[in-house]
Amino acid sequence: MRPPIVAEAIVAAVAPPGDYESIAGDLHEEYLRYACLSGRRAANRWYWSQVLLSIPWMLSYSRARRSELHAIGIGLTAVGVLVAMLLATLPINALLDAIFGSANWPLFVPFGAYWIDAAVFGAVLALIVRRGGVRIAFWAASLLVLAFAVPALLGFPSSQAPVWAWVLLGGTVPAMCAGAALYQVVIRRGVAQ
Amino acid sequence: MAKGGYLGEFEHIVLLTVLRLGEGAYGASIRAEIERVTDRFSTIGAVHATLERLERKGLVSSWIGAPTAERGGKAKRHFKIEKAGVAVLKDVRMTLKRLHAGLSLR
Repeated sequence: MRPPIVAEAIVAAVAPPGDYESIAGDLHEEYLRYACLSGRRAANRWYWSQVLLSIPWMLSYSRARRSELHAIGIGLTAVGVLVAMLLATLPINALLDAIFGSANWPLFVPFGAYWIDAAVFGAVLALIVRRGGVRIAFWAASLLVLAFAVPALLGFPSSQAPVWAWVLLGGTVPAMCAGAALYQVVIRRGVAQ
Repeated sequence: MAKGGYLGEFEHIVLLTVLRLGEGAYGASIRAEIERVTDRFSTIGAVHATLERLERKGLVSSWIGAPTAERGGKAKRHFKIEKAGVAVLKDVRMTLKRLHAGLSLR
């Protein structure tokens, strides 16, 4: 018997470097116990609740002790990837203009295009940093959202935007994490096999 | 007081549980024991994050065991309370005793 595969993949993506084995193993062990006691469906529900409620905790710490220089390097890499991600929207905009005409894009088009852009660069970030890609993507994308949100909250007129633009921007956080997670899951599964 | 200062409530619970379980202290057993004794739902993520914080404060130490089949071939991280951890627990108990002295909780 095996825990839900998607939930397992979330653990593989989000668990802190150095603690993945112990967390995934603990969950697996308790899952089997629940399944014997209460049946597979109850065990699946328990597993999902554990994984979803553990995400903020798993993102909050790391067992990998990095030197200050290494941490600065990762910070600069994350900023570089964010800049590249924003610059990539220029050719995307030009392409969408060519297809749909200037400023006549259906609303779902920028959502799809920018979130795919964020997911691709999330995967690139995970590829570069190797370990802890999802957490770094999470903090990098959150930083990007804050960089736009703080001036808007302080009332700068140039930072005001419609609600859909904020939804679009907020969506870059899960999109970047999803890209990094996908890359990380592929790598971790590759390592495990 | 050990480095890292005072214990938070959940840190206190986790540290006591590591002491209770002795050699059988690892993530899943700690989480299950907390639920059994306190009747309080806890997540494996919260337990591991707290254990890492306690380890950074020098109150517990950990080591990786061998992988086992019932864990999907994954290894356990075992935990052990350190002298500093026991000292902090004694300190907290004394503080709580002093605070409770002379109080009626009716």
